[in-house]
Amino acid sequence: MSVAVQDPSRPEPFVADVVSRRMSPRRRIGAGIALVVVGLLCALLLGLGSRAGYDARFDLANGGEYFTVPQIVVPARVSAFILGAVVVVLGCYQALRGFGRVGLRWAIGIAILAFLLTFLCWSTTGAPDQHIDMLGVLEQSLFLSIPLILGALAGLMCERSGVINVAIEGQMLAGAWAGALVGSVVSNLYIGVLGALVVGGLMGWLLAVFAIRYLVNQVVLGVVLNVLALGLTGFLYDALMQPDTATLNSPAVFQDVAVPVLSQIPVVGPLLFDQTVIVYLTYALIIAVDVALFRTRWGLRARAVGEHPRAADTVGINVLRVRYRNVILGGAVAGLAGANLTIGAIGGFSKNISSGMGFIALAAVIFGRWSPRGAVAAALLFGFASEMQNLLSSITTPVAIPSYFMAMLPYVATIFAVAGLVGRVRAPAADGEPYVKG
Amino acid sequence: MRHLTKIAAVVGVSALLVAGCSSKPGNSSSGNGSFNACMVLDTGGVDDHSFNQSSWAGMKAAEAANSNVNPSYVSSNSQSDYTPNLKAETSKGCNTIIAVGGLMYKAVASIAKANPKQHYAEIDNSNQGLKNVYGLQYNTAQGAFLGGYLAAAMSKTGVVATFGGLNIPPVTIYMDGFWEGVQYYNKTKHANVKVLGWDETKPQAGEFANSFTNLNVGRSISETFISQGADVIFPVAGGTGLGAGAAAVAAGGKVAVIWVDTDGCVSAAQYCKYFITSVTKNLTGSVKQYVDKAASGSFPTGNYIGTLANGGTGLAPFHQWNSKVPQDVKNELTTIKSDIISGKIQITSPHQPQ
Repeated sequence: MSVAVQDPSRPEPFVADVVSRRMSPRRRIGAGIALVVVGLLCALLLGLGSRAGYDARFDLANGGEYFTVPQIVVPARVSAFILGAVVVVLGCYQALRGFGRVGLRWAIGIAILAFLLTFLCWSTTGAPDQHIDMLGVLEQSLFLSIPLILGALAGLMCERSGVINVAIEGQMLAGAWAGALVGSVVSNLYIGVLGALVVGGLMGWLLAVFAIRYLVNQVVLGVVLNVLALGLTGFLYDALMQPDTATLNSPAVFQDVAVPVLSQIPVVGPLLFDQTVIVYLTYALIIAVDVALFRTRWGLRARAVGEHPRAADTVGINVLRVRYRNVILGGAVAGLAGANLTIGAIGGFSKNISSGMGFIALAAVIFGRWSPRGAVAAALLFGFASEMQNLLSSITTPVAIPSYFMAMLPYVATIFAVAGLVGRVRAPAADGEPYVKG
Repeated sequence: MRHLTKIAAVVGVSALLVAGCSSKPGNSSSGNGSFNACMVLDTGGVDDHSFNQSSWAGMKAAEAANSNVNPSYVSSNSQSDYTPNLKAETSKGCNTIIAVGGLMYKAVASIAKANPKQHYAEIDNSNQGLKNVYGLQYNTAQGAFLGGYLAAAMSKTGVVATFGGLNIPPVTIYMDGFWEGVQYYNKTKHANVKVLGWDETKPQAGEFANSFTNLNVGRSISETFISQGADVIFPVAGGTGLGAGAAAVAAGGKVAVIWVDTDGCVSAAQYCKYFITSVTKNLTGSVKQYVDKAASGSFPTGNYIGTLANGGTGLAPFHQWNSKVPQDVKNELTTIKSDIISGKIQITSPHQPQ
């Protein structure tokens, strides 16, 4: 088993090359058996577990589209049997003949999807006439993912240039505070976003100064900055905002802006193109970071500095300047993630409003193998799993699922998906290594 | 470079100091009365819009009513502050010490045993059989029962919802009451209003945000409820519950919220328009009552249980919804309230204080 060496001039694929070109028979059969087990789980556990004769209903429309997607009604048990059988067949083929490297990945993807669909069908059969608003589920998944995506992009920009950013949480919190304060004082949300960017950037600058100039251990530093942001915003909330909530902590909230034409496409329209300005900004940032990192001079230099700063230095790249710039920019993006928590969704600031989302974003960077697409996929996955937790707790499932189990669902789902699809990851070689010239 | 390091270090340390000192320790009111009523607050500060603030308001009210009362408080920055704070207050010479929050019960018990002559009171816990401790508890299931009935009566879609911060008794007692109130509505009106997020008969399940601070998750849970048809939401999750307010704003008037603990139109006035009412827990009144009695020389013993009968729990005013709640429903709520007090309606929540 070997990890394929990446051609540095090309974007890394988001899925790992965990499987060497020639798979050992043991691995091949093992993967096949795993698929068969998943298929049997679908068919037997979820199929037989759902009540006979019940239909699963899914809504995918909210009325404003060009044409309304009709409610999807499928018999729960039969669907589970069919989907389970498909996965079992895939598993048998894998064990006997073996898909290729790429084929197996597709098979795993299909198995995960089949399991998910069966699970959803099963969950609706707890009560008659229960339906799931799938469009709503997807919308909420995106809503929960946006701060994670922005936070992950922030982490990525720092780490690709060789500075570990554990302080995403603190930068988010500071940005959330600043966004609410500025947005409230000047009664202009765009200037509020600007304030969040500046304060997030300042937090990034703090990280940069101590990490790059004073060579402080970057993980410890990140933790300290998080505590600083938590204490400082909490103090400023009590001392400044609380006594005068009306002027200092009552910003408006960004409203959804529907993009003409695009927003009326069924499913995709209401999901992606009826969003707030910050969400559109996020789309732009995802593309910008992905393109910039792999197709521009800036990106090449950033990656060079993150992989081998000494080599970069010898060819005339100013290592420290690149790092400063990237960390400050990253901080600003994390500040935008924070602004999304306050003026992008709720309005006013409250203590510890980021509630650990920065750490999830950090995990998304790593699960996404330090690539923008991977990080976005990991953030979306986590958002979706969190929303599944919300959904499954709100409907009547055939078996009551304990709330503590539900609480761990997003984390378990993420770990399984990473284990199944991502495999071994490799950090930028100089990540966390301070660069001292000479 | 050297200088900069020093300056940066000084700035950093002072910033941490400022942040660390955010709670004002040992605030003592100007009163020069002879009855020292001391309060040990839970984490969150005295301005927490919740628990601490309501309890402290009770102390201030007692001072206003009786100038002999001299109230003071100390804040706890973490759970490890409970015991040192209680000890410091005990050696300070307080006439009574009120511990805010059931989480302090172990610290209170051990210190009360060690100081049998000192009077204590604890909010949200029983006196644990100790003679020098007065327990203040609240049967909020009774108030939430009214809230559930009201929610069912006001729902147009026939679906109401509730979610909690954590699956712990002080939270789920509200959810129990709410659920029972809806079932009672269904029984008496032959209706079929559904409750999303909680079922008293399946207490291991239910919708929980697993946070009291994450407003975005609160909003997302509320939006999920709304997309599953709910139009009245009862969040029992502290700050996370404000996310329900944000979801109600986004729904543009189709969704209403019933707030919890305090009168939402006072504590979260920005969402008052969407609050039908609030299920209250009268910390202020019961703390004042305790301090009043203690200051007059007769320390109450045993336990206080806040109920509908003594005003320890109930519904806040309807505020902007006053004209929207039909008079029939108001009358029914009055009847139900007296039926709960008389015992004609039995609350079955297992989390009720005994």
